[in-house]
Amino acid sequence: MGSFFHQHPRLTPYLLLLPGMAWLGFFFLIPLGYLGYQSLESGTYGNFEFTWEFSNFTNAFTDYREQLFRSFLYAGVATTVALLLSYPLVYWIAFRAGPWRNLFLLFIVAPFFVTYLVRTLAWLSILNDQGPVIGFLRDIHVLGADEGLLYSTFAVIAGITYNFFPFMALPLYVSLEQIDPRLLEAAKDLYASSTQAFLRVTLPLSAPGIVAGTLLTFIPAAGDFINAALLGTTQQTMIGNVIQAKFLTSLDYPTAASLSFILMAMILVALLVYARVVGTEKLTG
Amino acid sequence: MTTAVETITPRSRVGVAARTWGFVKRHALTVYALLAVVYLILPIAVVILFSFNAPKSNFNYVWQGFTLDNWITWDEPLGISDAVVTSLEVGFLATIVATALGTLIALAIVRHRFRGRGATNLLVFLPMSTPEIVLGASLLTLFINTTAVFQLGFVTIFIAHVMFIVSFVVVTVKARLIGFDRHLEEAAMDLGANEVTTFRKVTFPLIAPAMLAAALLGFALSIDDFVITYFNAGSQTQTFPLYVWVTAQRALPPQINVVASAIFLVAIALALGNVFWQYRTAKRSQGAT
Amino acid sequence: MNPRLTRQELLRRGAAGGALLAFPSLLAACGGGDGGSESSGELKDVLNFENWPYYMDTKETRTAAGLTGPTTLEQFDQEKGIKVNYYEGIDSNDGYFAKIQGQLSQGQGIGRDIIVATDNSQFPSLYVSEEYVQKLDKSLIPNFANLIDAQQSPGFDPDRSYSLPWLTGIDGIGWNEELTGGPVTSMTQLFTDPKLKGKVTLLTEMADTLGLVLIDNGDDPTDVSDEAFDRAIKSVQDALDAGQILKFTGNDYGPPLARGDFAACVAWSGDLAQLVLENENLKWAVPEKGGIIWTDNMFIPLGGSVPTASTYMNFVYDPKIAAQIALGTGYISSVKGVKDEALKLDPKAGSNELVFPSDQTLANLHMNDPNMVSNADFITTWQSVKGQ
Repeated sequence: MGSFFHQHPRLTPYLLLLPGMAWLGFFFLIPLGYLGYQSLESGTYGNFEFTWEFSNFTNAFTDYREQLFRSFLYAGVATTVALLLSYPLVYWIAFRAGPWRNLFLLFIVAPFFVTYLVRTLAWLSILNDQGPVIGFLRDIHVLGADEGLLYSTFAVIAGITYNFFPFMALPLYVSLEQIDPRLLEAAKDLYASSTQAFLRVTLPLSAPGIVAGTLLTFIPAAGDFINAALLGTTQQTMIGNVIQAKFLTSLDYPTAASLSFILMAMILVALLVYARVVGTEKLTG
Repeated sequence: MTTAVETITPRSRVGVAARTWGFVKRHALTVYALLAVVYLILPIAVVILFSFNAPKSNFNYVWQGFTLDNWITWDEPLGISDAVVTSLEVGFLATIVATALGTLIALAIVRHRFRGRGATNLLVFLPMSTPEIVLGASLLTLFINTTAVFQLGFVTIFIAHVMFIVSFVVVTVKARLIGFDRHLEEAAMDLGANEVTTFRKVTFPLIAPAMLAAALLGFALSIDDFVITYFNAGSQTQTFPLYVWVTAQRALPPQINVVASAIFLVAIALALGNVFWQYRTAKRSQGAT
Repeated sequence: MNPRLTRQELLRRGAAGGALLAFPSLLAACGGGDGGSESSGELKDVLNFENWPYYMDTKETRTAAGLTGPTTLEQFDQEKGIKVNYYEGIDSNDGYFAKIQGQLSQGQGIGRDIIVATDNSQFPSLYVSEEYVQKLDKSLIPNFANLIDAQQSPGFDPDRSYSLPWLTGIDGIGWNEELTGGPVTSMTQLFTDPKLKGKVTLLTEMADTLGLVLIDNGDDPTDVSDEAFDRAIKSVQDALDAGQILKFTGNDYGPPLARGDFAACVAWSGDLAQLVLENENLKWAVPEKGGIIWTDNMFIPLGGSVPTASTYMNFVYDPKIAAQIALGTGYISSVKGVKDEALKLDPKAGSNELVFPSDQTLANLHMNDPNMVSNADFITTWQSVKGQ
């Protein structure tokens, strides 16, 4: 079989792509096409008609601009915080953990094994106003006597950060893990301090991981709804909540669909800008 | 590293402060890592704790008293064991398939220049940009219109999970492939190996940790997925997140905590076993040299 | 890659995109599935019943209520030889509808003979108007005569051809007396009491919350005019703007209320009965001006077996059975004579006004206007109040 690839080098990428893209083509693109069809419909439930209703898009964008931008803001902050929090942990796992690394990688994803609702309810008990954590924070005057942390912008962003932590940490680990420690030794041999070694060797080599982690965190976080629903108030609704409500309660499928496309388009634009800023080779090699 | 010019400072002159600072610098990262793990695991600790609670009502959030009853009667709530088993089965299967498919796509994108490369790269990001509720509902529409081939149930859940996990695998494995040193592969081929052997003996072992990390992420995504599964599970199949969601509308029985804790503890046990096994293989190779 | 599209490429891509758009509608056209409705037909020996969680008597709840013997589902099996596959998969009216509407719209069955929907949502009307449900076989339901008068002719099913009530609950106000310092007796108090500022939650469901507000404003919740609706919306919006309302919650308000995350909220009677066992400071009451009553109704979806479902409905409309279900769940039954049967089984529980309300209590409880819950404009306005 090796000689087949040798004789048909041009075919290789297409053959590699075929199974995965066929899966996506059939089970993602076709549903997406249907969603596109829905986004150009008009009418009410039971009486939808395809009318090339492009006004769905313009109306949706005008009506829900606030939630769209808020979603990008929350996702952006959460991604940044996740990066800052996870980098040192992942660095430690890659370089200092030795045989324990797989255990610590498991600790990173373990929260996912207990399902979203269970872990969020646990956080709600830990951080509720009558609990020890808030009591402590009030005692040291970080919080006012009547203030709490829950049901606020802080809580929603903290929830997003916590729940997307593995999406940032694992790709970071992937690129840090492959760094040859001898490169760092060489840097030290050349009189670099540990800080310089980090900034000039480790950090640049981990750039693909940073990019990957940023994308895997930001993109799904922008469309998240559940953190805002459980941890926020009406002031924190994200576009995911709007789409959810349009779909489930208002039975307004065209608006839900067009909002979804608007979100996707905005994410793609952000992606292209990001690629330009960090250099496209970090995305494709 | 000292040179002949440097004077050697007597230990007592270095000072307690400097030594303490040196100690802190060396161990700060480890302390941080442990604190980070505490942050990650804290809710799970609460979950495990409350699995031993004896609540007075349907609701389980105030500590009333210790009991082992919940662990003994873990299977009591209707359908809980089926839900867990289904979640684990779908998780493993979907992860394996998605990791394989995603790795192939990553290899294609990073290592080959072909027409449609940019578009493919962007296409990979689309599934994760799509809000789950419309994605799940649209996929359901596809299945409803193809009932001759797809019956709602385990298969459709599996298909849906592979679909949304693949993108995450692609992006994760790509991070490893970018900056991958191709010289090793070139050396292998110079020594007479063909593409497949090179992949098997050189490439694959080197990207295996990345594939493992991607698989771990994929499994976590699958076992925690709610919205897409909700729409595509059909009337006979239940996964653990679905089960939790529905029961949570009234009150979560403590057995939910038991099951969640058990999954976590088993995973930790497996990882510890892995640590132990690595120690032994390391020892053996040390002994051999 | 060449940045400029050639004409050929543009045409090709346009065709591909167009095909992508057209394909799904082709799919939709050739749909229709093979799960067509097998409505009439024979009695089956299995019944698939989908319901909300905690909505059926179980061994534990029967013991707690002082009842002995097998559960009503087991009794049905013994009496009729029909086994019930009981599923508790309904998490919300809208979620469940979204899940099953695709198949029902294509005429496919969903693997269930009985499903349940609440009358204070738009969905019972939709199930009927979209013909997603089948007519009951009343010849198999002689106990239909036991249906109480108040439920004889609901707006979504005036002839009761498609549905029968399952259980009923009451919307009222729940509060944590430790934090409020005293009873909370009205929506006005919820909205204006400074001691409650920022510590009040409302239910996301329009009918539950606005129903109580309408009553509080002196309007009729059973027949809602546009002006009355606007007044109610304004009351809620003002309270939101003043920072009185913390957030809107779904059905999961119980533990946060008991934990003290907030002090008072719109709440159902059944939940508080449980929570009180955890925190004895919790209280619940119908507002002085009146409360809202809602009812979950049984429907037979397309593909379900009408004879089997009708037989089951007849079974649960026997007051003896209905009493057991009410005692075992803590919700109100719509079957005549259920209170007498309950008193026979357990005199103390049978006199619980919240589960077996007297006529006097009932006089202060009102149903929602079915037109209000189905009004698309009302729904849109309510959604925007919630920021959605």
